[in-house]
Amino acid sequence: MKLAFLELPLQRQSGPLVPQILAALAAHGQPLRWAITAVRQESQGAILQIEAVMLQGSGPRSQAASPP
Amino acid sequence: MNPAASGAAPLPTLLVIPTGIGCEQGGYAGDGLPAARLLAAASGCLITHPNVMNGAALYWSDPRIHYVEGSALNGFARGDLALQPRRLQRVGLLLDAGIEPELRQRHLQVADACRATLGLDIGPVVTTEMPLGVCLQRAASGASWGGLDRPELLLRAGEQLVAEGATAIAVVARFPEDPHSEALTAYRQGSGVDALAGAEAVISHLLSAHLAIPCAHAPALSPLPLDPALDPRAAGEELGHTFLPCVLVGLSRAPDLVPLHGPIPGGSAVFGAHAQRLHPDQLGAVVAPAGALGGEAVLRCAERGVPVIAVHNPCLLEVSADALGLDAMAARSYAEAAGMVLALREGVHLPSLQRPFH
Repeated sequence: MKLAFLELPLQRQSGPLVPQILAALAAHGQPLRWAITAVRQESQGAILQIEAVMLQGSGPRSQAASPP
Repeated sequence: MNPAASGAAPLPTLLVIPTGIGCEQGGYAGDGLPAARLLAAASGCLITHPNVMNGAALYWSDPRIHYVEGSALNGFARGDLALQPRRLQRVGLLLDAGIEPELRQRHLQVADACRATLGLDIGPVVTTEMPLGVCLQRAASGASWGGLDRPELLLRAGEQLVAEGATAIAVVARFPEDPHSEALTAYRQGSGVDALAGAEAVISHLLSAHLAIPCAHAPALSPLPLDPALDPRAAGEELGHTFLPCVLVGLSRAPDLVPLHGPIPGGSAVFGAHAQRLHPDQLGAVVAPAGALGGEAVLRCAERGVPVIAVHNPCLLEVSADALGLDAMAARSYAEAAGMVLALREGVHLPSLQRPFH
């Protein structure tokens, strides 16, 4: 088990934000704590900057960081 | 005379002031507490997190305020957890093996003092098998983050505490320190980011997510040299040898975390015995800094239709309602936010209070 810090740009899609963010983070482990820390407008739309601490390997057993 | 601020039923309200992003109010040593007290009076029921309430040696206990660690707060906002008020938790003390003997003794004396002077139930005490290895990090945004070299040792010690009867856990980890760093100087002078806060949140999130009981963290640090120019908002952290008293007090009355899906720890008695359980569907408002609306709790609330009150409280971030496309009510101060919460609680339509009248 290890903790890893992650900074991730994410192209915003229409619809609720949280499922989009969790889907993007899932490829990197289990999100322990995350936030959108910037939003910038580019020609293709809004880019969300996500910062997160991810748990990699076997982690907490609760549902706290599970997808919605 | 009715001592309540309102005759209406309480309006459960979530107050979020994210950790480690330099909020002008709430970004220091428990300096979000006055706002929490006011919002608790306005709402009759406030749910907030340790960063708001913890003033090291200073604390405030109010039965209307529910002390809920950030990971559990997210679970509540998500609709996965209910909160069960509790008169007294048995707070286990989890100490990092990296704490030097004298500093460790100071923390044990805080536990003794809380038992003898405040009547709290503190114990057992468990020390990790090896130092946890706290590391600090600063992100591109300027926000503080951090982690542990050995997270599994934290979880193992937490499991041992639960096995020995703890119903809540106060963690004390040895933090790296540099008393002459620019970041610390800026923080003590009231213009910087709390460099420890991000790692603290990660530690408490990890433990709370694993054990599903109330958890909170206090860093172990050596005393700092006297700074005559110390900002009053940082002063709470320089009154004693530890940051632990507020954590023990907060956890002692923290609500139990009751999962709303899957098996219920403690069986149906957890539900049956208490009528005061706070369900996430009861949430009536969420209050957060106007530039920091991109955290999980606020987004979950917004996506569930809970009114968002965005308060002017400058910080490093500019993740506003406009940037995210959220509906939010703008408040110029926490005093105005408290008025909004009271209006929601009393069923006063907010536009009726505004002029020109439309």
